[in-house]
Amino acid sequence: MSGVAFHRPRSLDEALALLADEEARPLAGGASLVAMMNARLLAPAALVSLREIPELRGITDEADGGIRIGAMTRHCETAAEGRLSGTLGVVRAAAGKIANPPVRNMGTMGGSISLADPGADYPAALVAAGAVIEIAAKGGSRRLAARDFFVDWYTTALEPGELVAAILLPQPRDGDGLYHKLARVAGDFATVSVALSAASDGAVSVAIGGCGPTPVASEAANAALSGRLGDAQAAREAGEILAGLADPVDDVRASAGYRRLVIPRMVVEAAAAAAQPARAA
Amino acid sequence: MSDTCRLTVNGADSTVAAEGDTTLLTVLRDQLALTGAKRGCNQGVCGACTVAIDDAPMRSCLSLAANCEGRAILTVEGLERDPIGAALQRAFAESGAVQCGFCTPGMLISARRLLAETARPSDDAIRAGLSGNLCRCSGYRRIVDAVRRAAQELSR
Repeated sequence: MSGVAFHRPRSLDEALALLADEEARPLAGGASLVAMMNARLLAPAALVSLREIPELRGITDEADGGIRIGAMTRHCETAAEGRLSGTLGVVRAAAGKIANPPVRNMGTMGGSISLADPGADYPAALVAAGAVIEIAAKGGSRRLAARDFFVDWYTTALEPGELVAAILLPQPRDGDGLYHKLARVAGDFATVSVALSAASDGAVSVAIGGCGPTPVASEAANAALSGRLGDAQAAREAGEILAGLADPVDDVRASAGYRRLVIPRMVVEAAAAAAQPARAA
Repeated sequence: MSDTCRLTVNGADSTVAAEGDTTLLTVLRDQLALTGAKRGCNQGVCGACTVAIDDAPMRSCLSLAANCEGRAILTVEGLERDPIGAALQRAFAESGAVQCGFCTPGMLISARRLLAETARPSDDAIRAGLSGNLCRCSGYRRIVDAVRRAAQELSR
């Protein structure tokens, strides 16, 4: 008998009250949490299921034209969401590349970003899309830019007892958003990923995943690419900037040197793909 | 907080013993004697534990039984009464798509969802739909053949 308690709160307030206990863990889709429990990496004394909390559900339109993705939104739902078009297509594309169909039916955006696995797909995509993370706490909620939310290896800006409530995306603009993922095999975590969001007016935002503790992005790289998406030399320069800022490690997927080598090539490829006119969604 | 929960599996309700950290896979195999779902990796990678929860294929090794209350669970044992499931079972047998059989229950659950969503999937779509189910025996070719065969039979 493990004695692990299981709670089913019906509201965000109820969940936050339960999570004030340091021994309690929030349970979203379970795709990562239960895997870690099965591997004996974690042994929470209590689990707080977020399944029944309406405030965490749904993809809704915001008054300012932006899109609010509830923390409990599953990857399959995000991957099928037509409102994530134009510049926001990067988020939709990333969702469709996560793991495999059964895992996409279970895993949630809130749960995934809370783990902040450096090889995961959302962090780079959310940084490229200019996402803002809404955090719920007992004292009230707060918002943080995605690039400030991902702090270090498996570390976010969440304080104990806090929860991701929603991910806020800006209004989708005409343009393109794509996510390229280099992996050893389909379904694996990224070895290197490129998330690119390009508006028709020329503004470009790019971020690299899998090459350090947090997504790699820079205003200088964005500036090098903006208005020059079809220019391979500009894309190469942007890629070199990002490769210089990356802090990859040697791991089972690739060496740090390989990753640094591949970053500029993938940025060139992604920029060329985004520059294609009338690209299929 | 309780150490039992009510599960609906293949249309039947049961009350099972479940701590907070008891997985659905453990409950299915150890308490309900539904040993079709297999514990291959216990990490959600191999797909041998795949069952359908509210019609969506999911990893029973990563599902906590207590979190499945009020949801409809379908395992391979429940497929013969499902038109798509039954067609797939026949096609797998006729196509020689079963070698050791360890991946088969999970493959059938994933394939059922694929054919429910797409009546005549291309081979690429079949492979994508089954991309969460690993097979160490077959090289996948006869599994893809079986799904194509079932799709043809169902859409006649």
